[in-house]
Amino acid sequence: MSEFDVIVVGAGPAGASAAIKLAGSGSSVLLVERGDPPGSKNVSGGVLWGDSLGSVAPDWEKSAPMERYVEAKGVSFLTRDSKISIDFRSKKLQERRSGYTVLRTKLDGWLSKKAKDAGAMVASGITVDKLAFKDERVIGIEQDGDIITSDIVILAEGANPRVAINSGIRDRLKDRDVAIGVKEIIKLPEKTINERFNLTSSKMGFASEYVLGFLEGGVKAGGFIYTNKESISLGLVISMKEMRENNNTRSFDLIEQFKEHPYIAPLIEGGRVDEYSAHMVQEGGLKSVPQLYGNGFMVVGDGAGFSFSNGMVLQGMNYAIASGIAAAESAIKAKIKSNFTKDGLSSYEERLKSSFVLQDLMNFKGIEEVTWSDMIHRGIPNMTEELFLSLFSENGQPKAHMINLLIRAMGHSDVPRKDMVINMYRMLRRM
Amino acid sequence: MGSNTNTGDFLVLEIIVMIKQVPDSQEVVIDPVTFTLNRGAARNVINPADENAIEAALRIKDKTNAHVTVITMGPPFAESALIDCMSRGVDDAVLVTDRAFAGADTYPTGLTLASTIKKLGKYDIIFAGEESTDSSTGHVGPGVAEFLGTDQASYTSESWYEDGFVYAKRELEDGTEVVKMKPPTLITVLTNANDPRRATLRKKIDAMKKGIKTMTLADLGMPPEWVGLRGSPTVVKSMRTIDEKKREGKKFKIEEIPKLVDELIEKKIISI
Repeated sequence: MSEFDVIVVGAGPAGASAAIKLAGSGSSVLLVERGDPPGSKNVSGGVLWGDSLGSVAPDWEKSAPMERYVEAKGVSFLTRDSKISIDFRSKKLQERRSGYTVLRTKLDGWLSKKAKDAGAMVASGITVDKLAFKDERVIGIEQDGDIITSDIVILAEGANPRVAINSGIRDRLKDRDVAIGVKEIIKLPEKTINERFNLTSSKMGFASEYVLGFLEGGVKAGGFIYTNKESISLGLVISMKEMRENNNTRSFDLIEQFKEHPYIAPLIEGGRVDEYSAHMVQEGGLKSVPQLYGNGFMVVGDGAGFSFSNGMVLQGMNYAIASGIAAAESAIKAKIKSNFTKDGLSSYEERLKSSFVLQDLMNFKGIEEVTWSDMIHRGIPNMTEELFLSLFSENGQPKAHMINLLIRAMGHSDVPRKDMVINMYRMLRRM
Repeated sequence: MGSNTNTGDFLVLEIIVMIKQVPDSQEVVIDPVTFTLNRGAARNVINPADENAIEAALRIKDKTNAHVTVITMGPPFAESALIDCMSRGVDDAVLVTDRAFAGADTYPTGLTLASTIKKLGKYDIIFAGEESTDSSTGHVGPGVAEFLGTDQASYTSESWYEDGFVYAKRELEDGTEVVKMKPPTLITVLTNANDPRRATLRKKIDAMKKGIKTMTLADLGMPPEWVGLRGSPTVVKSMRTIDEKKREGKKFKIEEIPKLVDELIEKKIISI
C-alpha cells in the first residue's frame, strides 16, 4: 500500500496543474517543490498564452495573479542603428484570446495554493534526490535517504531535470537541448509603462520578441520584453551552442548590449532593476523529448521538452499546463484500472498526440534550425534595414524598382544571396 | 519558578525553542515617508539566530532522550515557520496568536512567551536566538528568563547536556567562558553558532500531518492590558533613514591595475 496515490515533483504550472486536477478528483497527492515558496526558483518571462488555466481552475480570471492582457504583440529585428518591427495591436485579440503577462513568483504561489485547497499536500523547500525503484518499477521518490511511496510519480521538474537524470530515465542534457535565459525585472510606474508602450489601459500589455542582430562578435540571441503592471520583464535567450562557440560571451554583457540599444534604452529609462536572474531554457524541439512515461511514472512540462519557439512566440507554460492535465487524467484512468505499469499509463502519450502539445512539436520539427540561422539573425535584419533605408530616404537619385532594391539589399545581408533564397523558402515551409 | 528544581536524570528532557518569523532582511526596505519597514514583497523566514537555536536544541536531542517544542508569538501565517522547524526534527509546535498581541514590544512579548511556557508545563532548557534581524534588541530571550526566574546564558556558541547539568559556551569580548547550570535554564544562541540541518521530506510530511497547536490570549489567561500595544512601554518618537552615498564609479582594464592602485593611494583610500 503506497503512502500517496501520486507524488508530483515540481510545483510549476505543469506539476501544480496535475496536482490540482488529481487532488480535485479525490486522489491523495504529494506535491514537492525545491523552491520555498513555490515560484522562487523560477525565471520565466513570461507570457501565459491561451486560456489553459481554465482547465485547472474555472474561476481563474477572477483570482489568478495575472499582470496584463496582451493587447500588443511585437516581433522586431534589431540592427546596430535600426529597429524593424511588426507591432500587431487588435481589439480582436481579446475575443480570440491571446495571453497574459505573468510574474511566476506570484502565479506559482497561486497555483500551489489551489493545489493545497484541492487537498494536495504541498511540501516546498525540499529537493528530491531520485526516483525509488523496485523490480524495474517506480515505487516513489527518495529524499535524504528516506523513501516516500506512491503508485505514480509525475516528474514536473522544469528545464533542469535532475531527478530524471539521476534516476537514469533520461540522458544528460546536451548542448543542443538547452539555452540560457537571463532576465531582469525593471520597475517603472504603471502610467509610464502605458505611455511608453502605447497601451490603452493598465490592464493591457505589450509582449515582444526581438532578434538581436547587432550583438558584439555576431553572437546570436533572442530578446524579449513583456510589460507587467508596474515593471518590465526584459531578457534574452542564448543557445548553449552559441555560448560555446563564442568563448568570451557572457550573458550579462549581452543583456547590457540589449538594454543600451538606441530603441530599447528609452523604454526602460529611469527604471530600477529589481531582480536579476538566469535559468536554463528548453530549446531542443521534438528530438529532445525524452521517454515520456514508464512503469509508475510520467514526465510533464519543460522537463519533457514541451516548449515552443518559432521566433515569433516563445511558449512553455501553456504546454506545461496541458501536459500536466493530460498526465493527471491518465493517472486517474490508471487508478480506476489499478494498472500503474507502462501499459497502464500509455494513454498519456495518446492524449499528448491528440493535443497541441505534441502536434506543435511534430508540425514544427526542425524549426530551431531556422530560428538560430544566420539568415534570421543577420540576413533578414540587414537586408530589411537596407531595403527600408532605400525606400524611406531621398537622395536625389532616380528611384529604383522594389525588386532591384531587394536584390541590392540582399547584398548587404552578410549572407550569400543564394542561401538567403533557399533559407527563406525553408523557413516559410517550416513555419 | 520553573517546575524542575531537582537534579539528576530526567525521564525526558523537555526543551522549548522560541522562534520568530521575520521578513527576509535582504528584501526589506524602509519606507522613506512613513519610516516603517516595508515588508510587502519580502518573504518570511525563520529569524537566522533562531535557526541556530533550533539546531542547538536538536543537537541535545540527538544525544539525549529529549522532547523539543518550538513556540512563536505571531500572526497565523507564522505556521509555515513552525512546520519548517518540525520538518527539521522538532517534535511539537505552538503558535501563540491573538489580535490582542499586535503591536507588542519586547516586554509584553517576553511576558506572553513566559506565560505560554508555564502553561505548557514542564521545561528544562529554553533556547532562543540571540536577537532578531528585524528589531535586533536581544531583549526577549533574557526577558523570558527573568519572568520565569530561571538561570540564563547569553551569547552562546555551543551547549550540551551531561549528568543532569546544562553546559553553555559563551563568546565574550575577551574570550570564552563555559557555564554549568542546573535546569531549568534559558540559553540564547548566536547567529552562525552552528550549521542548521535541513528539513527532510519525511519529517515535513509528518509535520504537516501532525499540524501545530494554537494558543490565544484566553488560553493564557492573561489580562488584555498586559499584552500587545497596550502592554508595551516603548514609544517610537522618530526614525531616520540614512541615504546611501553616491559613490564615484570608474572602470579599469586588467592591464591598468597599477594605475588603479596609484589612484587609490592618491585618494587616500589605501596606503602602502
